[in-house]
Amino acid sequence: MFYRLSGVHHANYVSDSRIFKVPADRNLTAFIFLIGLAAPFIIPSLYLNSYMLPWLIWTAAALGLNLVTGWAGQLHLGYAAVMAVGAYSSIHAARFGVPWEFALIIGGLTSSVIGSLFAFAALRVKGLYLALTTLAMQFVMDWVLTHSPAISGGSHASLQSPTLALLGQEITTDTGFYYVAFGWCVLVTIFMLNLKRTGLGRALVAVREKDFAAAILGVNSFYYKILAFATSSFIAGVSGALLVATFFFLAAPEQFSVAVSIQVLAMVIVGGLGSIIGSYFGVALILLVPGIVNGLVVTLSDGLGMQIDVETLAHIPNAVYGALIVIILLIEPLGLGKLYGNIRDYLMVWPFDQFKK
Amino acid sequence: MKVKQHIKAVVLATALAASATVASAQDKEPIRFGLCFDLSKSYTFISPQVAQAAQDLAMYTNENGGIEGHPVEVIIRDHGNEPQRGVECYEQLKREGVFLFNFLSTPVTNAVLPRAMKDGNVLMQSFVGRGDAVDGEVFEWVFPVGPTYWQQAANDVAFIKGQMGGDLSKAKIGFIYLDYPFGQEPIEILKTLSEKEGFELELYPVPLPGSDQAGAWSKIRRDKPDYVISWLLAGGHVVASKEMRRNRFPIDRYLSVNWLNEVDIANIGAEEAKGILRGTNVAGGQEVPIVKTMLDTYYANGKGSGPESLVRDVYYNTGMAIYSAGFEAARIAITENGWPITPETMKNAFESIENFDGNGIMAPVTVTDKDHGGGGKTRVEQWNGETWVPLTDWSADYLDVVWDVIKHSSATFTVE
Repeated sequence: MFYRLSGVHHANYVSDSRIFKVPADRNLTAFIFLIGLAAPFIIPSLYLNSYMLPWLIWTAAALGLNLVTGWAGQLHLGYAAVMAVGAYSSIHAARFGVPWEFALIIGGLTSSVIGSLFAFAALRVKGLYLALTTLAMQFVMDWVLTHSPAISGGSHASLQSPTLALLGQEITTDTGFYYVAFGWCVLVTIFMLNLKRTGLGRALVAVREKDFAAAILGVNSFYYKILAFATSSFIAGVSGALLVATFFFLAAPEQFSVAVSIQVLAMVIVGGLGSIIGSYFGVALILLVPGIVNGLVVTLSDGLGMQIDVETLAHIPNAVYGALIVIILLIEPLGLGKLYGNIRDYLMVWPFDQFKK
Repeated sequence: MKVKQHIKAVVLATALAASATVASAQDKEPIRFGLCFDLSKSYTFISPQVAQAAQDLAMYTNENGGIEGHPVEVIIRDHGNEPQRGVECYEQLKREGVFLFNFLSTPVTNAVLPRAMKDGNVLMQSFVGRGDAVDGEVFEWVFPVGPTYWQQAANDVAFIKGQMGGDLSKAKIGFIYLDYPFGQEPIEILKTLSEKEGFELELYPVPLPGSDQAGAWSKIRRDKPDYVISWLLAGGHVVASKEMRRNRFPIDRYLSVNWLNEVDIANIGAEEAKGILRGTNVAGGQEVPIVKTMLDTYYANGKGSGPESLVRDVYYNTGMAIYSAGFEAARIAITENGWPITPETMKNAFESIENFDGNGIMAPVTVTDKDHGGGGKTRVEQWNGETWVPLTDWSADYLDVVWDVIKHSSATFTVE
C-alpha cells in the first residue's frame, strides 16, 4: 500500500542507483518540499520563526554530524566547537565587509581546516579515545572563545552579526530568514541523499564497518576519515554561521558549548545513525519537543485551574521529555528514522506479509 | 505601629492615588510582565526566588488597587537556559501582547537582545547579560537597573580604600574569579584602578565550576593580600570558605560579588560565615519593609506564592528590587502618558525613574536616557551570624573609569 512496487524494475546499475527507487518516496519528498516552500504562507509566523527555522538549521547541522558519525562511524563530541569556528569566522568576515556569500564560505572553509586539523591528531586513535580527543577540541575552543575578546567580541563575550544579505538583497523578514534556512537544509539534504549512492559514501560505510577490512579492499581509511571530517566540518561551519545570522543575530560562546555538542549528538542518535529522514525527526524531538511539552503542560494546568508552583511546572516537561526519549529508544534502538523505516517496510508489502504470520 | 506605617508607605508607593479606582481594578486591562526564566537548569539557585517575589509583589499590588487601577499580570515560563527556547518564549509572549521582558540568564538574554532591540520591546536585565547595556544611547531598549559588574568591582575597591584609611598605595588586593566571561568581566577595571590607586593586584583564576580552588588559595596564602574580592557563584563560596580556613585567611577580608545568599551561608555554616562581606545594591534580610509586609500579609497566613524559605533569602529581595523598579516605571508610564502603556511610554517611564529605592529595598536609582543602570550604587554588607548588616552607605565611585570601559565596550556593539 502507498509504496507500490508493482511495475518498478531495476534492470541496470544506473536505474538501481537512483535516489528514489520507489515512486512513492519521490512523491512524498516532492510533497514535503512543496509544503516547505509554502510554509511562510500556511504556518503562523510564531511557528515559522521559532520552530521551523531553528529546526531546519539544526537539521542541516545534524546531517553534517551524521556524515561523520553515522556514515564514517567516527564519534564526534566537539561538533558545536566546529560550528562556533564557522559562526565566528563568518561574522568577523562579514563585519570586515566581506559579502555574506563569501563570508559563509569562509566560515565553512575555516571550520573545515580546523576540524580536519584536529582530525589529523584525533584519528591516530579510535573509538572512545577519538571521542575524548574531540571532546578536548570542544574545551580548547571554549577556552579560546572565553579568553580572546578579539574573537568573541566585547562585554560578556557577545558579537553582533551584521544584517544578512545574499545576492545583493538584505534579508530582514522572518520569511526571508526562513527561506535561507530552508535553502541550506535542502542543499545539505540533496548532498547527503547523493552521498549514499556514490563511491565516497560506500567507502565511508566500509570504513565504518571495519577500517582495516576496508584497507584490505584498497580503501584508504585515513584519507576517507579526514575527508568525512572536513566535509562535515564545512557543513557545521556554514550551519553555525547561518544559525547566528538568521536566528540569534549575535554569537555568544554559550550557544556553542559542550552541552550543545552533546545535544547534536543526541539528535543524531535519537534520529538514527546514517538516516537522513531520521535526522529531521531527531532534531525535532531534541530541539522542539521540550518547548512544545512545556507549552502543553502550562496550557493544561491553566485549563484545569491547577495551582502548581512554577518550579514544579518547569520540571514536569523535563520528566515527560526524558521519558519520551527512553521510550523511543526502547521501542526502536536504531532511532526515529528506523521507526519510520519499519512503517514504510510494513506498508510496502502489505497485505502480503500478513500471510507469513 | 511603625511597621504598619511602613506598610502603608509601600502601598502608597506602588498604588498612589488608587483609592478611587480600587473597585474597578480587576475589570481594567492588565499590565503584563513576561518572565521567561530558567527554572530547571543552571539558574535555579536564583530564579525561583525572583519569580516568587514578582508574584507576591503583583498579588499585593493588585489587592491594593493595582498600578493606577490596572492589575499586574506576571507570566512565568521556563526556558531551561537554552537560547533557542528563550527566543521561542519571547516570540510567543510578544504575540500575546507582552512587551516587558526579563530572561534572568546571560546566554538567553544575549540571544534575545538583538530581537528586543529591533522590535522595540523593553528588556529588563538586571544582573545578567552584557554589562555595557547600561549605555542607554546604544542599548535603547535594555534596562539593566542595578550596578554592572564593573561598577560593583570599582565600588568594592572604594570600600577597601575606606577600610584602609583612604590610601591604597601599600595595599595588595587579590581577585579570585571563575575563569569565564562572568568572572573575567571586572579584571579590566581592577587593572585600571590598580594603576590609578597604586595598589598591587593579584589575579587568581579558578576553573569552572569552582570546586577546585586549592591552587588559588595556597597562592593567596603566600601572597598575603589585604583583601580578596571574589567573583564566584553558589558552591564556589563554600569551597572558598573551606580553603580560607585551611590557609588561615580571615573570612572578614573576603568580599563577594552580589551572588552570595543564605543557602551558601547555610552551607558554609551560619557561625562559620560570620564576618563574610558582600557588595550589593539590594538590602538583605527580612527587616526591609516590603519583605516584612509580604511575610506578615501572606506568609503568616500561608497565602504566599511559594514556600516561606525562599522569602528568607536575599535573592527574594533581589526579585523585589527588580520588580519594584519595573512596577514603578509602569506607574510613571500611566501617570505621565495615560493608558494604554506602550513600549515607548514604558521606556520613557524607565528613563524618568528618579531617586527610587522601593522603600529601602535597594540603592536609590536614577535612570536616565544615557544611564540605564540608574547610577550603579552599591554598599557592602556583612553577615553577623544571623543577618546582613550594612557597613557603608549606598555609593558609586570611580564613575569616570567605569564609564570609560562601558563606552569603549558598547562602541563595538553596533554594526551597520
